[in-house]
Amino acid sequence: MSDAIALPRRRVRGRFRKVLPAYALIAPAIVSSIVFLYIPIAFSGYWSFTKYNGLASPKWVGLQNYTDLLSDPRFLKALLNTVIFVILGMGIGPVLGLMSALLLNQAVRGRGFFRTAYFLPVMTSLVVVATIWKVLLNQHGIVNELLGVVGIPAHNWLGDPSTALVSVTVTSIWQGFGFETVVFLAALQSIPSDLYDAALVDGATAWQRFRYVTLPALRPTIAFVFIIGIIGSFQVYDQIFVMTSGGPLNSTRTVVFDLVDRFDSLKYGEASAVAYVLLVILATLSFIQMRLFEERA
Amino acid sequence: MTARGATISRGHRTGRRLRPGVRVAIYAALIVTSILMIGPFYWTFATSFKPAGDVFAAPPKLIPNPWTLQNYRDVFTLLPFQRYFINSVIVTSAIVGLNVVFDTAAAYAFAKLRFPGRNLLFFMLLITLMVPFQVNLIPLYRIMVLLHQVSPLLGVDTYSGIVLPGMIQVFGIFLMRQFLTSIPDEILESARVDGASEFRILRSVIFPIAKPAMATLAIFTFLGAWNDFLWPNIVINSDTMRTLPVGLALLAFRNTISVGPTMSGTVLTSAPMILIFLLMQRRFIEGLTAGSVKG
Repeated sequence: MSDAIALPRRRVRGRFRKVLPAYALIAPAIVSSIVFLYIPIAFSGYWSFTKYNGLASPKWVGLQNYTDLLSDPRFLKALLNTVIFVILGMGIGPVLGLMSALLLNQAVRGRGFFRTAYFLPVMTSLVVVATIWKVLLNQHGIVNELLGVVGIPAHNWLGDPSTALVSVTVTSIWQGFGFETVVFLAALQSIPSDLYDAALVDGATAWQRFRYVTLPALRPTIAFVFIIGIIGSFQVYDQIFVMTSGGPLNSTRTVVFDLVDRFDSLKYGEASAVAYVLLVILATLSFIQMRLFEERA
Repeated sequence: MTARGATISRGHRTGRRLRPGVRVAIYAALIVTSILMIGPFYWTFATSFKPAGDVFAAPPKLIPNPWTLQNYRDVFTLLPFQRYFINSVIVTSAIVGLNVVFDTAAAYAFAKLRFPGRNLLFFMLLITLMVPFQVNLIPLYRIMVLLHQVSPLLGVDTYSGIVLPGMIQVFGIFLMRQFLTSIPDEILESARVDGASEFRILRSVIFPIAKPAMATLAIFTFLGAWNDFLWPNIVINSDTMRTLPVGLALLAFRNTISVGPTMSGTVLTSAPMILIFLLMQRRFIEGLTAGSVKG
């Protein structure tokens, strides 16, 4: 009888003892996410509906910042440039990554060395990579020297509005495709060889084995690479800052560059509206990514 | 060897032995692309030892001749680069240390403890992964300005200004929680029976078991913090507080004519990272591709 009374009490005390430390353990994460994530997200949203320069108090203007953006050629150019950057980069980068992974997945010697070579730029700071390529692509740089050997005249790649964006995109592909190589290589190595043996028994050609064994097995990895890549590419900024500063003639202005530019000129309201446009685009992509992850789990 | 092990190790090869012609083509492709990847790094390294007149010499000089250390002397007189290196080390160490401890602590609670609101709180954290950092940029800057008014040691233009927004990563918590869920409850229960508090368990049971996962988290965080540019560039105004990437960007920006010092600055900025990478490659690759292969 005494047990029956004592037990629930001990349970309550026990639960308390368990619950308090749990809250203490998550407290830093919760506090920091409120202060550095939730509050900023809310203020950014509020400011996007105001005229605000950081000094005078924000003045409510409704949707004006958004409608202004949609008729602002600089923002539309930035949006277009970013979309071109994403499509070009994601059209080429993952293909290069898959091709190099397929090569490395053959029984080659020195796989470790080649993998290191591809991965080296991935862990290098974008500022470093951009600085290097800015010098390589100089009017008198080594790229023009080498192209001169095959008879292509020297060109000011970053100074010409018609080639600047492509040059920055190529630099970014060079920097990033090693990531895709490593991800694809890991995925390729986890495909059971029984599948290939079976295909061989059935007399499948190399192309058929790739088309009907490799590609289907890589489907989730391909989805992952594209979503992560698109989200990352949409935020392109560092290379632009270093290589072209958005120029010449806004030909490399991107959405994040546009955001920071408005921030620098104390147009916090407009900059916040740009931030929310970016949020809507990327949140949609993240949502798709989460759905894909759920599908795999 | 188990059947599973055999299957996986044979998985490197896709079927038959390659024909010699194919093999040569594969090696040729691998070698050419590797030169394209390493070449720019080599060229930067070589150029950093060239006298000003040789930087854009035609034909290009593959090996600096004559060579000089002038570019390295110049970079330190143009900007306090040694100070930037120390700044980067301090800021990165702080961010890595805070993340490893706090992300793991939170992940432990979310993975192994039961408390009211657990799922809701975890969901509230996860959903912030959808929000790109740039959305928070301006409010974060305003918060740092406010903090600086509270204490001159905090906020804008201080180490804390760079570190605080990155002290905890939701993705880090997510990653660690994935790992910690796989730890059997019995180990924790027996520690509790022995009278260990949850903090004690975290320190003496979880930290030792989770070391490999924490190493992955540390490297992942290290890469992001060491290479970060956008935020440090915004929150730092003074000459002496910059981190390496911010200093290098400034150098590249100012020196459009004399490229030599920019090249030596590039070498100084990237060399530490490249050395650590070459020494701990496997962990780096795991760290950067964490969560990608096994969803």
